[in-house]
Amino acid sequence: MIDLRGITKSYSTGSQTLQVLKGVDLAVGSGELVAIMGSSGSGKSTLLNILGLLDAYDGGTYKLDGKLVANLSERRAAEMRRELLGFVFQSFNLINFKTAAENVALPLYYQKVPRKERTVRSHALLERVGLLDWADHLPSQMSGGQKQRVAIARALAANPRVILADEPTGALDSKTSEDVMSLLKELNGEGMTMVVVTHESDIAAACQRTIRLRDGVVESGGYV
Amino acid sequence: MFDRDAWLEVANNVLAHPLRTTLTGLSVALGIFILVVMQGLGYGLQHGVEGQFADDAVNSIWVEGGRTQVAYRGNQSNRPIKLNNGDVPGLASQADTIPAYSRRIRMWGAEVIWENPDGENPSGNFGLRGVDPAHIELERSNLLSGRFINERDVLESRKVAVVGPNIVEELFRSAEPVGAFVRINGVLFQVVGTFEDPGSRWENRVTYVPFSTAQALFRSDDSFDQIIYSTGDMTTDATIAQSGRMLGWLKDVKAVHPDDSRGVRVDNNNEEYAMYASIFEGIRLFIWGIGLMTLLAGAVGVANILAIGVKERTKEIGVRKALGATNGSIVSLVVMESTVLMLVSGSLGLMLAVGLLTTVAPMANHEYFQNPQVDHRIALFALVVLVLVGLASGLGPALRAVAIRPVEALRDE
Repeated sequence: MIDLRGITKSYSTGSQTLQVLKGVDLAVGSGELVAIMGSSGSGKSTLLNILGLLDAYDGGTYKLDGKLVANLSERRAAEMRRELLGFVFQSFNLINFKTAAENVALPLYYQKVPRKERTVRSHALLERVGLLDWADHLPSQMSGGQKQRVAIARALAANPRVILADEPTGALDSKTSEDVMSLLKELNGEGMTMVVVTHESDIAAACQRTIRLRDGVVESGGYV
Repeated sequence: MFDRDAWLEVANNVLAHPLRTTLTGLSVALGIFILVVMQGLGYGLQHGVEGQFADDAVNSIWVEGGRTQVAYRGNQSNRPIKLNNGDVPGLASQADTIPAYSRRIRMWGAEVIWENPDGENPSGNFGLRGVDPAHIELERSNLLSGRFINERDVLESRKVAVVGPNIVEELFRSAEPVGAFVRINGVLFQVVGTFEDPGSRWENRVTYVPFSTAQALFRSDDSFDQIIYSTGDMTTDATIAQSGRMLGWLKDVKAVHPDDSRGVRVDNNNEEYAMYASIFEGIRLFIWGIGLMTLLAGAVGVANILAIGVKERTKEIGVRKALGATNGSIVSLVVMESTVLMLVSGSLGLMLAVGLLTTVAPMANHEYFQNPQVDHRIALFALVVLVLVGLASGLGPALRAVAIRPVEALRDE
């Protein structure tokens, strides 16, 4: 599903150039649940940006769902994100002036799904994550775990091929973290490919495989 | 652009931020409101000033005698100066061209009795003027019925009279004045017309008779009080030169010291009107200045609020991008939001201002302030300016916000 070969990426900050990724090789198969671990500065977030089509890479090849991702226009990248990827963030990033149902429906809005169908599907997804009763609540009225479940429902809304989760339990206590992880595992059990970026080893342990990143290269676990 | 979903999203976002919406809306509405109201007041002032000049023709020069202040050429001071029939050709020789003029004899109080053949004879005390035919234009009076004094009346010293509305009201009531006979200070006149003067309350209490008749009956010599010249379409500068020559000539003939300002007077309405016009022009500029400053303050406020709003929404914009929004759709969302906000609140301010001016306008009736009105072009201009400012101030931050990589924007700091 995901295939990276020799991915490099550097940022120039003023006079000096910072080589963040120095040739990343990894592969994630369809239906896998994979953790990416690494200390801060290892290039985790840069890798996630590239995986999520939110940033371009300098060298190497990236194939997503069998398609080569290179030199994408901004519009085409947005289109591919919409069709292939679902995001889950550490700080949930729900839009705080929209209700749970409206947040879940947002990706469908960008897919130009008609309004009525958006409502039906967002409610179904909220039911799937056990929050149908909270459909008309604002994020500020919900607990952290509930918010993350709404965010997961939102990531599922566009019917993606891969879910990218960036520290999905980073802002949650351990009990809620377990709930969220079991939800992710459940979805994985239904066939969803998942990449979870984390620095917590027990979260990584709950995944099928751990890819360790260090100083811009994959240290271990890049391939099955 | 006319995607219903996009507009719903816009409406949703605008309504979801009541504080921001209220603040932005308020500064826009206030800016437009103040600008339009100020302009309306400016028009009120203009109409007031113009009303002041409704009494007499603006293009006229008024010549009259007075009393000397300075002894000169063997004459004592405090000598009364009279204009005489003989002065008319001399004054005329100082003029470039004289389309029309009227001599004038004034009597403040004359007893007027209606010689009513079938009933009582009501009487009253009114003003009297002996005038030439051109007087009706120079005094800006309107003929209501019959006719005004004409050339033959003056040539033949006919005993005819044209009466003002107060005389009609007090003596004739509902009876027909034209054709009736009135006795003025003991002399019988026939009423040939009625007039009104919208610019002067006093003039409406006056009876006009031919100049020559008045002079023959009520003066012992060939003197008169005033002579009024029309200046036609001469330039203001030319009229100032002309009135200066007339003054110089008259002072010389009447032996008035050149520095004596009270001996004879030549008032140039052109000059006075030009002065008022320039004062008014100044007031207008001042009002424009204030209006533009208000608009600018409003625009800066709006730009500020929108810029902060977009900055606050960096995360929201990041989320939208991650969920598949294109940069274009985000920028157009932000810009549509600010445009809708501007248009709605701007129109609100406009309606309030128009409402205020139209309700207050009929009440405002001061000498120098009449009939304020709304200038729609200015209102529209202000609205367009604010909308453009809204677009520009929303666009800049929105473009910067979409340039940020979402994962950075969405990470906890």
